[in-house]
Amino acid sequence: MLFSDAKGRQVVSSSTAATVGKVSRFLVDPRSRAVAGVELKKTSNGDMLRWSDITAFGADAVTVTGEDKIGDGGESLKALSGKAHRVLGKRVLTSTGDELGKLVDIDFDPASGALTTLLVDSGTDVPGDRLLGIGSYAVVVRDDG
Amino acid sequence: MRTSEITKRPVVTMAGEDVAQVKDIIYAAGGGSVGGFTLAGRGLFAGPLKEGLAWSSVSALGADAVMIRDEFVLQPTKAILEASRASGGSGANVLGSQVLSDAGLDLGVVRDVIVSVDQATGGHCDVVGYEIEASEALGTQGEKVLIPLPDTIAASGEHLMVPASAKEFVGRDLAGFGAAVDAFRAQLGGAS
Repeated sequence: MLFSDAKGRQVVSSSTAATVGKVSRFLVDPRSRAVAGVELKKTSNGDMLRWSDITAFGADAVTVTGEDKIGDGGESLKALSGKAHRVLGKRVLTSTGDELGKLVDIDFDPASGALTTLLVDSGTDVPGDRLLGIGSYAVVVRDDG
Repeated sequence: MRTSEITKRPVVTMAGEDVAQVKDIIYAAGGGSVGGFTLAGRGLFAGPLKEGLAWSSVSALGADAVMIRDEFVLQPTKAILEASRASGGSGANVLGSQVLSDAGLDLGVVRDVIVSVDQATGGHCDVVGYEIEASEALGTQGEKVLIPLPDTIAASGEHLMVPASAKEFVGRDLAGFGAAVDAFRAQLGGAS
């Protein structure tokens, strides 16, 4: 599933069947090379949802057990939510210091949250397991040798 | 690659943070290799940093960035300069120096330094040639040409001495220059 496709998806509470928010942005943890959580909008309080609190990331909606799962995300998510950790639109550098282009989209596994492919505007696709770091200057990926 | 292209290049950690940019090249081993870099902060108004980057701490020298593991590999510039001096490094700037062949011919004036990262010697950053503004002796006066260097050279800050045969290996662009350097050095090695 692409970040661009998943953006705007409704988040529905399975206990009340009410829509509790909409997916706005993905927070990526470069260490686990996976989605750590999502930032929501149109929520009543808090705007962070941890990946581990998501019941299912479905094709039509994201389900959670209750609205109480949405909060400030705790320290770990807060650390990843800054502008420096945004991934889309950022330049992609290899570990050998060559620029591949700008990151336009990410393909991820909706079951595990693992990143499968990083899509670069130059047309180069980088496997998600090559991600090394996400910083204020660039997204760094391991060189394929 | 040309060292003029390395200066201002960002120094980026594997975590994607640009911690500095290259200000200048520190030469080691009599100007025959790169010992490290002096650094400046990022941004328009950032000045020089007290910390520098030793070549041994460079993970990769790429076309768009100098990659390092993390910001903790930076060390005081003074220490890198001392280490490079201890290895016989001339701190003197070669840009603008006159290149003389050992036959006494003026070949031209140094405009840029060409370095190459040699994987065979464990990623040693070797100075392999100079871009010079050619003199009459090369028959291409005024043009910029690339001249290969032997492993070791004699430099005084005023003159640089190269073997006369370097003239035969002058190149015009960086593509293929590596082969010219190898051929030149092989010939020198065979002669001695």
